[in-house]
Amino acid sequence: MIVKQRAYEAKEALLMPALYAAQREHGWMSPEAMKSVARALDLPPATVKGFATFYDMFRKKPVGKHVIQLCTNVTCILSGSEDLLSMLSDKFGIAPNETTTDGRFSLVAMECIGACGTAPAMIVNTDFYENLTKESIFSILENYK
Amino acid sequence: MITITINGKKIKLNKPVTILEAARKSGIHIPTLCDHPMLEPFGGCRLCLVEIEKMPKLQASCTQQVTDGMVVWTETEKVVEARRAMLEFLLVNHPLDCPYCDKAGECDLQDNTMKYGPAIGRFKEGKRKHPECYDDPIIVTNMERCILCSRCIRMCSDVQGADAITITNRGNKSYVEPFSGGRFDCEYCGNCITVCPVGSLMSRLHKHTYRPWYIEKEVETICSFCGVGCSFVAQIRGDSIVRVETRPDLGLNKGLLCVKGRFGFDYTVSSARLKSPLIERNGGLKQTTWAEALSHAAGKLKEVKEKYGPAAIGAIASGLCTNEDNYALQRLMRSVIGANNIDSTTGFFYGPAQRFFEDIFGQGATLNPMQGITNSDGVFVIGADPSAVTPVLGLQVRAASRKGIPVVTVGHMSGLKRFATCSLNPDAFSEPALLNMLISGLMKKRPVCGENIFFEDIIKKFMLSTSDNISDACGLGKSDIDKAVDELNLMTNPAILIGRQVVQRSDASVLLLQLSVLIYLLNGRIYLISELPNDQGLVDMGCQPDTLPGGRPVFSDSMRKRYEDSYGAEIPSAQGMRLMEMIQAAHEGKLKALYVMGENLLLNLPDTGYVKEALLKLELLVVQDTLMNETAELAHVVLPACSWPEAEGSYTNFEGRMQHVKKAVHGEAMEGWKIISEIAKIIGVDWDFLTVVDILAELTKVSPVHKGITYSEMDSGNCLWPYNGEPLRDIAKDFVLPDTKLIKREKCSGRSYLSADQQLFHSGTIGRNSSALNLLMPASYARIGSALNEKLSVKTGDTASISSGVKSAELDVIIDPDIKGMMVFVPNTAADKGALSFMKWSMNKDFKNPALDGNEIEISKLRSKAEEVAA
Amino acid sequence: MNILLKHIEYPESTELKGYCESGGYKALSKALDMKPSDIVDEVRRSGLRGRGGAGFPAGMKWTIASMDPKKPKYLICNADEGEPGTFKDKPILEKNPHLLIEGMAISAYAIGAEYGYIYLRGEYPEAKEILEKAIIDSYAAGYLGDNILGKGFKFHLFVYFGAGAYICGEETAMIESLQGKRGQPRIKPPFPVNEGFLAKPTVINNVETFANIPYLVEVGAYAYMKIGTPESPGPKLFSVSGSVNKPGVYELPMGTTLREIIYEHCGGIKDGKKLKAVIPGGVSTPIMTADTLDCPMDFVNLPKYGSMLGSGGLIVFDETADLRKVCLRITEFFEHESCGKCTPCREGVGWLSSILKRMCSGEGKPEDVELLLEISKNILGKCFCALGDGAAIVVQGFVNNFRPEMEGRAGAQA
Repeated sequence: MIVKQRAYEAKEALLMPALYAAQREHGWMSPEAMKSVARALDLPPATVKGFATFYDMFRKKPVGKHVIQLCTNVTCILSGSEDLLSMLSDKFGIAPNETTTDGRFSLVAMECIGACGTAPAMIVNTDFYENLTKESIFSILENYK
Repeated sequence: MITITINGKKIKLNKPVTILEAARKSGIHIPTLCDHPMLEPFGGCRLCLVEIEKMPKLQASCTQQVTDGMVVWTETEKVVEARRAMLEFLLVNHPLDCPYCDKAGECDLQDNTMKYGPAIGRFKEGKRKHPECYDDPIIVTNMERCILCSRCIRMCSDVQGADAITITNRGNKSYVEPFSGGRFDCEYCGNCITVCPVGSLMSRLHKHTYRPWYIEKEVETICSFCGVGCSFVAQIRGDSIVRVETRPDLGLNKGLLCVKGRFGFDYTVSSARLKSPLIERNGGLKQTTWAEALSHAAGKLKEVKEKYGPAAIGAIASGLCTNEDNYALQRLMRSVIGANNIDSTTGFFYGPAQRFFEDIFGQGATLNPMQGITNSDGVFVIGADPSAVTPVLGLQVRAASRKGIPVVTVGHMSGLKRFATCSLNPDAFSEPALLNMLISGLMKKRPVCGENIFFEDIIKKFMLSTSDNISDACGLGKSDIDKAVDELNLMTNPAILIGRQVVQRSDASVLLLQLSVLIYLLNGRIYLISELPNDQGLVDMGCQPDTLPGGRPVFSDSMRKRYEDSYGAEIPSAQGMRLMEMIQAAHEGKLKALYVMGENLLLNLPDTGYVKEALLKLELLVVQDTLMNETAELAHVVLPACSWPEAEGSYTNFEGRMQHVKKAVHGEAMEGWKIISEIAKIIGVDWDFLTVVDILAELTKVSPVHKGITYSEMDSGNCLWPYNGEPLRDIAKDFVLPDTKLIKREKCSGRSYLSADQQLFHSGTIGRNSSALNLLMPASYARIGSALNEKLSVKTGDTASISSGVKSAELDVIIDPDIKGMMVFVPNTAADKGALSFMKWSMNKDFKNPALDGNEIEISKLRSKAEEVAA
Repeated sequence: MNILLKHIEYPESTELKGYCESGGYKALSKALDMKPSDIVDEVRRSGLRGRGGAGFPAGMKWTIASMDPKKPKYLICNADEGEPGTFKDKPILEKNPHLLIEGMAISAYAIGAEYGYIYLRGEYPEAKEILEKAIIDSYAAGYLGDNILGKGFKFHLFVYFGAGAYICGEETAMIESLQGKRGQPRIKPPFPVNEGFLAKPTVINNVETFANIPYLVEVGAYAYMKIGTPESPGPKLFSVSGSVNKPGVYELPMGTTLREIIYEHCGGIKDGKKLKAVIPGGVSTPIMTADTLDCPMDFVNLPKYGSMLGSGGLIVFDETADLRKVCLRITEFFEHESCGKCTPCREGVGWLSSILKRMCSGEGKPEDVELLLEISKNILGKCFCALGDGAAIVVQGFVNNFRPEMEGRAGAQA
């Protein structure tokens, strides 16, 4: 992979964006993905691994086509996100951090995603959904084939 | 001046340090788990919390700086309670498997828990599970015991610079692992094991074989692997070394070791270990008595001397042997045999390089203290990767780089790749062109200073002669050269590290003069990358055909007389034969007897077939060694010498530091010097050497530099060249300009050349007998770069056929994208497939050492790994 | 009160055009005609305190950094808003990005920084798009670049997108993260103002802090200080969530009482229920009981009521809330977010949450609450940074204020 350094940007600040790029390419932080980043930035692979595994948003295992990231922090559980989570679990037959057998969905229980004013909320891939209800959540997910 | 009070004790400090450092200096113990004297403060474990008056919260003494007037209490009730709390936290996820854990008895967590409690844990929930990992051949990891102090990580990254391990995940789900999660595939320095305070990273080699309290004896001694001369503590149980450990304040390595030093010591108990004398009978070697072996060797030496004259006898000394052994061999040759035919493989690089530089810069010019590297303002490395052949020296270069000191390297150096500010990797054998461009570039920016008119005259003549004969083609662009010149121009007193590859080639004298010019222009300090533990000592002991002990030239009548008087014998004034000349003389039937001490000529000389033929022509081949080897197999008499831990003596390292090698275990063999003095005695000269002390006493009398040296002075760590003696200050005036036509060569590109690979895991001669090191590098290989692989299209693990004019063999291939061009690197660790065995018998005409450049080879793919598995 | 959120009411507030039409970038123009040291003095005089949570005087940071001779200097915006209950920076990031850029450009000019990073939390992908577009537009319009507004001032700004680690909100952990390292806090001193990003002087301020700067420069310290209280001047963004009728982000003067926020601005408790408790400033601030409603929300008064202003993220609990579960969830959050560097936070917080989990699943023991207090006490004041301490005081707050409920004596409170 090629990592582009913008003018004036510090070389040190490239690891995070490079990992995002590698994750887009490989789907998750596979050893190959981390090695390709290490090669591109001339960093030791172990350093890349230590960095990648520190941050939640770099996937430690392969994920499905769509990643449902449902907030389960304080305000969201006050607004019923735990019920939503167990509904999703039942519907797709997977526990949090698992992927459906058809590879369509992965389910992630998230820490606060900053939507407490419009709880409960979730991020599907990079799309934000707020004020979820038992009804709305399924119709939203219908759009992710 | 800062004054602080710790536990009522007033402490005066010149500069602000941490409370912990101040306490340590004044002998007050504060417990720590994450802090370590070899590492930067971390502040993680919180065990070192102390109470500071006027501060409401407890403070971590490892990170808190002292201020004037500070009053600190380290063991108050509040502090003890906090420590108990921290230990209780650490034990939350700790398996408490002390009865099974090898660390028990030397575990910081165990010791501190015993001191501070808690006696009973209140944690009742489930502990973290993480099975012990045995994927690595050397290091066992147990992450349930890990307290995440990160000492290992900081050691690996900040000190060793290997960056092989990391903390994976975050918070209480973190654990330490190498990238692969299993095998470390690292430099295996084992320094992570040294700093691990618990039983999380341990050596697999002696797992579950003993308890720390079974160790019966600890001996501080010097490593036997390379010329750095690291100190360590050999831990002995039942007359064998079970482990070597370091201490942060011990020796010049200050607690660090490399893979060879830490794990390789088991060569001393290998199955190849020689225990009783052998004598050749009916075409085979048979066990015999010492009396018979010694009298046969001595009798035959005497016979050859009488029949053919002393010049028909030669001796090979060894940088693996102590000063005492080498001194004795030198004395045997000079005063008993009466010949100057004594040389060694140290004469292939270390000896001639040192002589060359001393001729220009004065005696001792290459003997500089190691810490000078990190205190310099630049580092220039050529000829060997110090981080592979002399790893602890390599660490100094890495440390310098980390301090922001510019590092310029010339040649393929994997270990310094990430540390060089400028890596110059010229085409094969085009170093003279590169150096010439660097010198011309530098001279434009920095004219010669007029300090040494004599040498500047040489420079002038030399540069004139090079302009005609050296091309500008070295495969590097102008911008690379300009950048390197700029980097070099920043340096005012750099460390110049020089390795064997610049000397073992046909144009060595040109390269050495170019380097001298560079050193002169940069005001550099020279460091020779000494690969054997006693290269320097061997030179100092006079084991060269042209020098006497103390480095005095043998042709100087006045100097020779000093030794003749002492030895009571006449020493020939003419220079003796060099090693390669001796082999040639044997081939030609002129040399009839050869005494080989601690050297495997069939491994360390090119063209094994030729060497073997020569050795077979000898009337007498005596091999005095510790391990059976290919050369010993050809001997008429094999004399088993004490191995490194079995005898007392000394090594002199590349800095010129004499260090005391102590007897750590009992051996069945005889001390090397004693074997030699027994032979002298049988021939008719009794030296009265009862112990090594007698030898040292004689040395201090005859050598003009080694004045008044004692072993206890060596123990102080400050026994440095020129000791108390007088170095030679004369600079050779009859300097002969090297023939620059030497470097006019045909274009090498497009052809494959063989080079000896620099192996981190092996030192060849002794390393190949270490079962631990063989786990890491089980077989020889051919390492090639991407350019060559475009032609071959092989994968790592495939088998290739390699053939030179001298021999052919099969080797597994390793692809290394960093290798430039068509070079093939083969390690010189296996006698049958060692790099040198493929190379032709070619002698450098100035130094009479092997010229290993221009060994063209054919390489072709034989079969893939998959095919092999299928078969 | 409409300073920080002023532009949001204008159509196309995220666009440069909309922002400029509503008076944007005037302050930058004014600032560039001032002496940098005068701006620093003005900020120092205003008494502006950092809006990220710790409330450190912004002027002091700026003064130290601007006096450090090392170059280049860096300016970092802490947009790693990750504390549950806190979403006050989101409207600025998503609806008013140019206010942040303008604030940063002025700050950079004042302290002499040439490069800036906005460390944006990975959970705000929309904000990333918006900020990146706004930055491109600002370059094009000459508000960023090598010669800003033709006045020879150079400032380059980048968005650095985080990847989910609450600890990176701690400023030294943020710097480590920016430098491609695991986000673990550094030893202080040296402080970032002297040795921060790449060991160069670095000022890190919160999004809201930077958002205050254009107004402050426009009206001057004297006028600015008329808002809020003498010790905590200026406007403050409060993000309110939980059981209120109108959750959201409110811009109010510092010192507004809890009662006013909940009952006047947020329309009172949902479904006419009774108020039970409030977390005033994000989950790292101790929970308060319903009888503290008259507490003014500022840096000085909240500590008197046993809590802290924190980020200004209020979570309101009605009488039906299961506070023990809330306590568990918060503790689990801290356990999940602990970087693992220091013992008490890594092991102690995990221990707290494992006890709470057991208690919530009905397997609590009478001595558990005492043990929670013991562990909290052992964590408190012994951690490397504030994260572990936060977890400990939060658990203490729950136990001290709602002990019967924490002990599982149901009905005692609800």
